Amino acid sequence: METLHYLSLGFGVALQPENLMFALMGCFIGTLIGALPGLGPANGVAILIPLAFTLGLKPETALIMLTAVYAGAMYGGRISSILLNIPGDEPAMMTCLDGYPMARQGKAAEALAISAIASFMGSLIATIGLILLAPLLARFALTFGPAEYFALFVLAFATLGGITGKNPMKTLMAAAIGLIIATVGIDLSTGTQRYTFGVLELYEGVDFIIAIVGLFAVSELLFFIEEKAGAGREMIKVNPLKLKWREILSIMPTTVRGGILGFIAGVLPGAGASLGSFITYTLEKKIVGKKGYFGEGDPRGVAAPESGNNGASSGALVPMLTLGVPGSGTTAVLLAMLVSLNITPGPLMFTQNADLVWGVIAALLVGNFMLLLLNIPLVGVFVKILSVPPMYLLPIVTMVAFVGIYSISHSTFDLYFMIAFGVAGYILRKLEIPLVPVILGLLLGPEMEKNLRHAMQISDGDWSILWGSGLSIGLWLVAIIGLVLPVVVGPILRRRMQAAKEKVG
Amino acid sequence: MSKFNDRVFGLIMLVIAVAYYYGATRFPVPFGGSEAVGPETFPKLLAVILAICSLYMIVKPDPDNHWPVARTFGELGIAVVTLVVYALLLEPLGFIVSTTLAVGTLCWRMGARPIKAYLTGLISGVVVFVLFTYGLELPLPLGLLEMN
Repeated sequence: METLHYLSLGFGVALQPENLMFALMGCFIGTLIGALPGLGPANGVAILIPLAFTLGLKPETALIMLTAVYAGAMYGGRISSILLNIPGDEPAMMTCLDGYPMARQGKAAEALAISAIASFMGSLIATIGLILLAPLLARFALTFGPAEYFALFVLAFATLGGITGKNPMKTLMAAAIGLIIATVGIDLSTGTQRYTFGVLELYEGVDFIIAIVGLFAVSELLFFIEEKAGAGREMIKVNPLKLKWREILSIMPTTVRGGILGFIAGVLPGAGASLGSFITYTLEKKIVGKKGYFGEGDPRGVAAPESGNNGASSGALVPMLTLGVPGSGTTAVLLAMLVSLNITPGPLMFTQNADLVWGVIAALLVGNFMLLLLNIPLVGVFVKILSVPPMYLLPIVTMVAFVGIYSISHSTFDLYFMIAFGVAGYILRKLEIPLVPVILGLLLGPEMEKNLRHAMQISDGDWSILWGSGLSIGLWLVAIIGLVLPVVVGPILRRRMQAAKEKVG
Repeated sequence: MSKFNDRVFGLIMLVIAVAYYYGATRFPVPFGGSEAVGPETFPKLLAVILAICSLYMIVKPDPDNHWPVARTFGELGIAVVTLVVYALLLEPLGFIVSTTLAVGTLCWRMGARPIKAYLTGLISGVVVFVLFTYGLELPLPLGLLEMN
């Protein structure tokens, strides 16, 4: 009952005309961002944060817009999977498998429509899951003390590489680099200057928004230059849509299974959207069995991964909103938005900022309907924009990133910093050191240190408080499993995903 | 497959970890005496973790990724220099002029025809300028185009 009350409060926020408008804008931009290869959701949301700032939006409006972008990006990823056989973002990889063959058989419009419906169902199911699960988890998280939080942060880092992650040591190293950068600046509790080297601009520490935009946007530009992918690829033309109700109904069971499975994959630490869409696709193939023609343009092969990755992306919001610990790159960027709006994420947010949290959740529901409407009739618009070659697009995107950063502080120093982060991001990616833990480290660093200090003050300097309660021991165990499991199971899963990828070819 | 990259990077990070740890030992004692966990504890912890990871990378490096050939490296260098110059000239030249140059150069180096490239730069610069200055009321520097 309580949940319903809050939800109606949320709808009150989400349905305000201003918020509706920004949600619609976010959905549109998000779909675009998702559709464009080379502009992943994390990247896109990162570029938009400074803009949301300079617009002076209210916190809930800004967050609603960016959540809409996030949801939209998951819709958009499928467009380039189906038409270009290039996933617009990583989770959309599995959609290539049957989406592209369908498009080549002259059923591009059907594939796009089916995937839009599947995305809608996946998001809808997962958002309902979010509404049911989030308040429970938030209430549970209220029992966490500083020691548990410290363990939880460690868990977040340990599982961030994901089960499919290649080298857990590199994930750990990336996290350490991020945390180290976060210690630069004046220490909040003692006022000690740390690693500022007397440079005035470093006193306040490194602004993580600059770091995020640099790491994602600028390094992406450099990668495109290296791969000489400026010209883009040839695209399949979209035919007029002929879709029968019967066909839509026939994929419904698939989307329900996909949405539920995706949601679970999204909530669990270390799984994420890519694995979500992979699992749903594989499972669907097993369930349908020999009756299906997976890999050759089976509509269920389009519906399954799309409902899976959209379910997972809504599911990933659960740990981000309730615990303040994001499980993916994009949710980390959303968290950055919260932190820079001076909202402390975590269980207290559900009571202290109830209108904001529930506004965002309601906006997810509203946005999902908008996205469905945007994505079926307006798909042509997105296809048009998709045909702009990256050699024009990426420089413009980089310029928008520049403007965004510049307009925060009107300082060119920040721009140099951003470029430096871009070059660093390029090098790290070359060495296969993941960027998301770096960002998470930057974001969570201050909070993590604060919790460590609190825990130590409680115990009067006794380190054993960190594993003093059953709950924290449990969290440490999961963290250790999160580091060990990729070494054991990772190679097998990776090989299977690789095999699937090669089939796309 | 050489495994050079990881070793070099691991070594650099190891040096950084040591320097970072040393830095933490040099913090002045905070006002009011030291506590169980002072400003230096967390950095020291991080330095140890970074050092362990670096050692692991040195001992067990992954195979190298392909680094771009010299020419591509040149292109990457041009792109980075373009961005730095863009930041440098943003205020003196103004937003529209510097954007035309920067976006134009990037498009051109990525394979567009020069005229089309710089035209893209000009158009995108003007559009964003108008949008920011009049639409969002966030003035961007005009620079050379400023009329007194």
